[in-house]
Amino acid sequence: MSEKTPKTQSLSRRAWRAVLSSWGARLGLTWVALLLIMGGFAPLLANSYPLLWKVDGQWSSPMMQRLTATDVTWMVAVTSAAVLLLIGRWRLRVRLGVLLGVIVATASIAAALIVDKPLPDYERYRTTKAEFALFAPVRYSPNDRVRDIQQIEPDGPCWAGYEHQHWLGQNDLREDVASRMIHACRIVLSIGLIATGIAAFLGIIIGGFMGYFAAGFDLIGMRLVEVFEFIPQLFLLLMFAAFFPGDNPQILPGIHIQRIYLIMAIIGVTGWTGYARFVRAEFLKLRKQDFVTAAHALGLPLRSILFKHMLPNGLTPVLVSATFGIASAILAEATLSFLGFGLNEDPSWGQLLNQAARGGSFVWWIAIFPGLAIFLTVFAYNLIGESLRDAIDPHTQKA
Amino acid sequence: MTQPLLQIDNLTVSFPSPGRGPRLLAAHGVNLAVYPGQTLAVVGESGSGKSVSALSILQLIPTPGSYDSGRILWHEGGQTMDLLQCSDKRMQHYRGNQIAMIFQEPMTSLNPVYTIGQQILEAILLHQKVSRSEAIAIAEQALRDVGIAAPGSRLREYPHQLSGGMRQRVMIAMALACQPRLLLADEPTTALDVTIQAQILELLRHIQRSKDMAMILITHDLGVVAENADVVAVMYAGRILEVAGVESLFDRPLHPYTRGLLKSMPVLGVAAKRLPTVADGATPPEDFPSGYRVQPHEMSPDQTGCAPYGGLDAKLHEVEPRHWVLCVGKQATVSAPHLAHRRAVTAAG
Repeated sequence: MSEKTPKTQSLSRRAWRAVLSSWGARLGLTWVALLLIMGGFAPLLANSYPLLWKVDGQWSSPMMQRLTATDVTWMVAVTSAAVLLLIGRWRLRVRLGVLLGVIVATASIAAALIVDKPLPDYERYRTTKAEFALFAPVRYSPNDRVRDIQQIEPDGPCWAGYEHQHWLGQNDLREDVASRMIHACRIVLSIGLIATGIAAFLGIIIGGFMGYFAAGFDLIGMRLVEVFEFIPQLFLLLMFAAFFPGDNPQILPGIHIQRIYLIMAIIGVTGWTGYARFVRAEFLKLRKQDFVTAAHALGLPLRSILFKHMLPNGLTPVLVSATFGIASAILAEATLSFLGFGLNEDPSWGQLLNQAARGGSFVWWIAIFPGLAIFLTVFAYNLIGESLRDAIDPHTQKA
Repeated sequence: MTQPLLQIDNLTVSFPSPGRGPRLLAAHGVNLAVYPGQTLAVVGESGSGKSVSALSILQLIPTPGSYDSGRILWHEGGQTMDLLQCSDKRMQHYRGNQIAMIFQEPMTSLNPVYTIGQQILEAILLHQKVSRSEAIAIAEQALRDVGIAAPGSRLREYPHQLSGGMRQRVMIAMALACQPRLLLADEPTTALDVTIQAQILELLRHIQRSKDMAMILITHDLGVVAENADVVAVMYAGRILEVAGVESLFDRPLHPYTRGLLKSMPVLGVAAKRLPTVADGATPPEDFPSGYRVQPHEMSPDQTGCAPYGGLDAKLHEVEPRHWVLCVGKQATVSAPHLAHRRAVTAAG
C-alpha cells in the first residue's frame, strides 16, 4: 500500500484491549490460565507414575504409557490454544475454528487408538528399585489410595521427606488432595464453559427469534421463559442425581451417559432464560435499526440478517452475563458435589469439601484448599465479567 | 411508447391504528410508473406515504402494515412480474440485485461491527457468481465510481471511521455494486449538509446517466426535485395529488396543494417575513374532514374546471396533456399517470 492509512480497529478488538488494561481482568485471566495449564498438563504435574525412569538399563516413561484419551486431548487442546493465542494474526473466528477442529480430531483419534489399561498397580512404582526415576511434583495420582500404610487418620499437609510427601494433605480415602485438586481443574473449566455454552446457545436462538419476529412468537417464547424460570435448578440436579446414581448412570435403557455431562446439560437447559431475555431485548431494538432494513433491501437472507448482522450487535450483554454464568455453573457443580450428589470416582473440588466433614471430624486441609480454589475461580470469572462490562458498556466508558 | 420499468398500480397500504379504530391508510390508491433511465421524484411532507410506497416496492413495510390492494408490476424483457405476489425467497432476487435502495441516515445504515469491505462483498457475492478476488475488484470499482480515493484501504475500514458524506457514498456504492436497474433513493441527502448534498446528487445524476438506471427519488426538498427529476409526483396523506413533467409542474402547478408547496419555498434575493405554510400540515389523515383528504390552504380561481380536489371518489385525471391531478373530474379522463418524459439535458449535466 502506497499511502499510509490509520490502523483500523474493530469494536471487539478495542473492547478486548480495554479488558486487558484493567488489573482485575488480568488477575482473573491469569488464574484461569493457571487452571488451564494445571488441567491440561495434570498428568505431568500430579502422577504416581514416574515421568521417566531407568530400570534394568532400560529407559521408559510409565507416565506416557498410562495416558488416557482424555489426557491426550486436554494436553493437545491447551497447547494448541496457547500456540494460537500467541502466534499468527488470524481472525478470532478462524482461531476458534482451528482450535475446535484440533480438539475434535485429537479426541476422536485418541479415542480410537488408546485402549483402556488394566487397573494400575501404583505401589509397584514406589517399591521398584530404579537406577533413575523422575517423578511429577505431586507424586500421587488422584485415585492413588495409599492403603498399605497402617494408619487410619489421613495425613495432613506434609512437605518434608520424600516417601509420604503430600503437599496439601490426604483426604479420608487417603488420596492426595493436591493431586485431586489439580485433576479437578478439568471439571471446573469444562463445566463452566460447556454448561454456559449450552445455555447461551439456546438463549441466543430462542431470544433471537422472539425479538425478531415479536408478536405471537414473542408471546409464546416469553411464557416458555417464565416456565423455565420456575424450575429450581439445584433441586432438579438433586433429583436427577438421586434417580441416576453412579458416575456413568443409565438414563434410558441401554444409554449410559457420564454424570458430568448430565450435570452440564441440566445447568445448560435450565439456565438459558436470562440470555434469551437479553437477546430478545436487543433484537427488539435492533430490528428497527436502519442497517437491518438496509440489509433486507440488499436482499440478504434472513439467516444472515439474524445471525450475522443483528447478533454481533446484540451480543455484548450475553458475553458479560456468560462470564458470570460460568462462575455460577462452577458453584452449582461444587454445591452438588458438596451435598454428595456429584461425581464419585473422578475428582472435584466440591467433593473434597464434602469429604472434609464426612469422617465425623472436620479435617481442615481438605476444606480450606478446595474452598479457596472455588472462591478464587468464581472471583476470577467475576473480575473478568466486571471488566468486560466496563469495557463494553458505553455508560461507564471513559471519554 | 416504451414500456415502463416499474408500475405501481392502485397500491393501498394500511397500518392498524392504536386502539380500536379504522386502519390508517399510509398509501391510498397510489399510481406511479417509472421508465428506464428516468428519475421520478416523489415529494411530500413527512407522513405523506412516499417512503411507504417505496418500501412497498421491495415488500419491506414495517411488520404490522399490510398491502390491502394493488399491484406492483416489474417489466423485464417482455415479461411482467407482480412484486407484491412474490414470495420472500423470490424477492431476494430483486432486492439489492434488480432494485437497490439507499436510505436517509448514512450514520446508522451501515452495520457498525463490520468493515465497509465485508458489507459490500456480502452483497456482491450473494447476487453475482464471482470469486472473492473478483468481488473485491468490483467493490473497489464501485467505491471508485462514487469518488472515494484509495478504495483498497477504505474497504478495510469500519463505518465509524468515515464521515457522513463518505458513508452515504459507501451506501450508494453498495447499492450500485450489483448494477441494479432501479434505485430507490429515500431522502438520500436529508441528513447531509448542503455542500455534501450537492456532491451526492451530482454523483447520483452522473451514475444514473452512465448506467442508464431508473431512479425513484423521494424527498421533501423542492430544490432537489427541480434539479434532478424528470417526472414529479406530489403526495399528501397517502394519495398522489399531482403528476407531471418537472418543467410542467413547476411552471403550471394545478393542484392547490402543489401551488402552496411551491409558494412555501423561499426565493433567493426576495425578502419574506413569513413563508406561507400548509394549513393542516400536521393533520393525520384520519382527522381530515370526512370525504376530503386535502384541505386546500389556498383557494384560487379554479383553472381546471374540476373541483373539488379532495374526496374519497377523487381520481387522478389527465386534466391537461401529460399533467395529472387528483380531482373529481367533469370532462377530463381518468387514467393512470404514465409519463416517459425526460428533462432536457442541460449543459451542466
